[in-house]
Amino acid sequence: MIWSIAWKNVWRNRKRSLIVITAVLLGTTAGVFTSGLMNGWIKQRMQSVIYTEVGHLKLYNPEFLNNEEINNFIPQSEAVVSYLQNDKRVKAFSQRIKLMSMASTSRGNSVLMLQGIDLEKEKQVSDLYKLILPNAGTYFAGSGSYPIVISDRTAEQLRIKNYTIKAETFDSLKIAGIPEPVIEKLKVIENKRFNTENLLKKQLTKLLSLKDLKNYSAEILGAAKHYRLNSKVVFTFTGKNGELISQAFKVCGIFKTNNTMFDLMNAYVLHSDLAAVAGLSNMEFHETGMVLNDNEELKNVQSDIRKAFPGLSVLSWKELATDAAMMNDFMDLFYSIIMGFILFALAFGIINTMMMSVLERTKELGMLMAVGMNKKRVFNMIMLETIFLTLVGAVAGMIVGWIIILITGHTGINFSSVGEGMEAMGWSALVYPEIDAAFFFGVTLMVIATGILSSILPARKALKLNPVEALKIDN
Amino acid sequence: MNVIEIKDLVKIYTNTAMEVTAVDHINLIVEKGEFTAIVGPSGSGKTTLLNMIGGLDKATSGEILVDNIDISTLNAKQLVDFRLHNIGFVFQSYNLIPVLTARENVSFIMEMQGLDKQKIKTRTSEILSDVGLGDRMDSRPNQMSGGQQQRVAVARAMASRPKFIIADEPTANLDSKTTEKLLDIMIELNEKENITFLFSTHDQRVVNKARRVIVLEDGKIVKDEKVGSR
Repeated sequence: MIWSIAWKNVWRNRKRSLIVITAVLLGTTAGVFTSGLMNGWIKQRMQSVIYTEVGHLKLYNPEFLNNEEINNFIPQSEAVVSYLQNDKRVKAFSQRIKLMSMASTSRGNSVLMLQGIDLEKEKQVSDLYKLILPNAGTYFAGSGSYPIVISDRTAEQLRIKNYTIKAETFDSLKIAGIPEPVIEKLKVIENKRFNTENLLKKQLTKLLSLKDLKNYSAEILGAAKHYRLNSKVVFTFTGKNGELISQAFKVCGIFKTNNTMFDLMNAYVLHSDLAAVAGLSNMEFHETGMVLNDNEELKNVQSDIRKAFPGLSVLSWKELATDAAMMNDFMDLFYSIIMGFILFALAFGIINTMMMSVLERTKELGMLMAVGMNKKRVFNMIMLETIFLTLVGAVAGMIVGWIIILITGHTGINFSSVGEGMEAMGWSALVYPEIDAAFFFGVTLMVIATGILSSILPARKALKLNPVEALKIDN
Repeated sequence: MNVIEIKDLVKIYTNTAMEVTAVDHINLIVEKGEFTAIVGPSGSGKTTLLNMIGGLDKATSGEILVDNIDISTLNAKQLVDFRLHNIGFVFQSYNLIPVLTARENVSFIMEMQGLDKQKIKTRTSEILSDVGLGDRMDSRPNQMSGGQQQRVAVARAMASRPKFIIADEPTANLDSKTTEKLLDIMIELNEKENITFLFSTHDQRVVNKARRVIVLEDGKIVKDEKVGSR
């Protein structure tokens, strides 16, 4: 009965209630969407960390972590391989040679970690092979001798990538629908080579209007981009016996991840090629990376390997990618703080509305207390009214927020205007928001708590009423 | 059988300026089934007396026994409970809950008492029919006239068969025709259910219908007359 009266009282002043409900709806939508955005972002980062960059666990010789010398390879390599093969929790593992090296071309140079990989094993622990850019070669498919896969950023540093608008570029721009007047303007820079994207962008700013720049620059930059595949890059590193070794590798593929730092640091060659050049045997590796069947087993697997091989450093992705680990660990707290702040702000409006509602009903409340409604019932009635008011807006807000996440989770949200900064820290510029059901349960609890807390002041006001005095009032 | 026994009842209001004796040593017995009007000029103490009998106000001194229970010794929580189970109220301005239908306005007190749902349903229909609103059970107060609303209020007061009903100027906001109709209904219910009615009034038509008239002046009973049958 109290529930029924409380629900009907919410709609007593429809306009006023709808204003509060709309405010709660908008606040909840904003909170849900923001949380979904952060959640999607963090999950994408975790996905990238685990399945592209790091894996679940990595094993090292502890000395290698202090000093990346070639002779600090993993001891008991065969025993480690055997152990990992027999552990059903380990989905796949891959062993790598890692050599810090200087990479040079005739036009540029870079410091890189040269990684010698077993092709098939590496594909099972890292999806880097899926990240080869279009028209930018292959992941070691049908390659000649000493092939190497480098990143798009490294290609830029080594001047293997450039931007040139050639005759055939105009054809592809026409096909892409770029207007003829715009193409005509570009003929001024035909066959002119720009070493970086920014240099070409600067030139386009001079040639094109702001509107044309906004509409067509992405297309033009994409069409003008060229990689000089099969270019030779000379890598210089220290060999097993301390000698300086130089070896040329031919670029067979260009990859790009969401993490600029990762891209700038790493290049990949075949294990057999690097071992032969560096003087290493087939069982001499510097790093073993692995992915597990279940992320929940991470701690147990790490602990077990440490027990089995006390002489090894066994590091999880949380220790290797602390930013992602921190964000992942604080995710729930973060969402609670966002929603908490939003609901806290909304509570003031709710309290104000309920105080007005109680004031308007002084006589009615006096009557209810006179005929025998005790304080507990009066309190419950007002509390329920407040909860209903808040909940209606919150449920509507959650539905709207969920729909927005559903749509943007499919299309993605492009933050490319701030993309460079984000990718420098390893975070994707294209975000796919997502949220799980447990989040909504938490929001509902917070909304109910807000309703309860917001009801205290108006309920206290009602309880202080003297029925005799209240009944005298002319509403 | 005595429903209400009042012994040497006093109510004094004090503020910084002065003291006002609203009820001055009143002794009164009300029997079951009485239809009693309390009359007197404004300030005579009618409302104060009814409020104290109804457990809404505390006496300065004296006793109020309802069914031999001294309600002046009950604390606030006990008084609320006492009112719920023993007293029905009819107010001058009806005081129906606007968001509830006639049916819901009548039944909610019985629901607070914790009565069986089926019994509530049956009793609600019965009492609303008794007051002539059997066909308006699902109407809200804003869909009814003043007289109809007051009839719902009477039905609400009577529904749980209280020991007595207090009505403070129940016809003050009604026209003469509606007043007549309402009084006839109240008398009928009084006779049918044998529930005691105690009401305050300025209205002579109401006084004419009462079986007992108590006249108050300056907080004292100056006349207490049982009139003949109507």
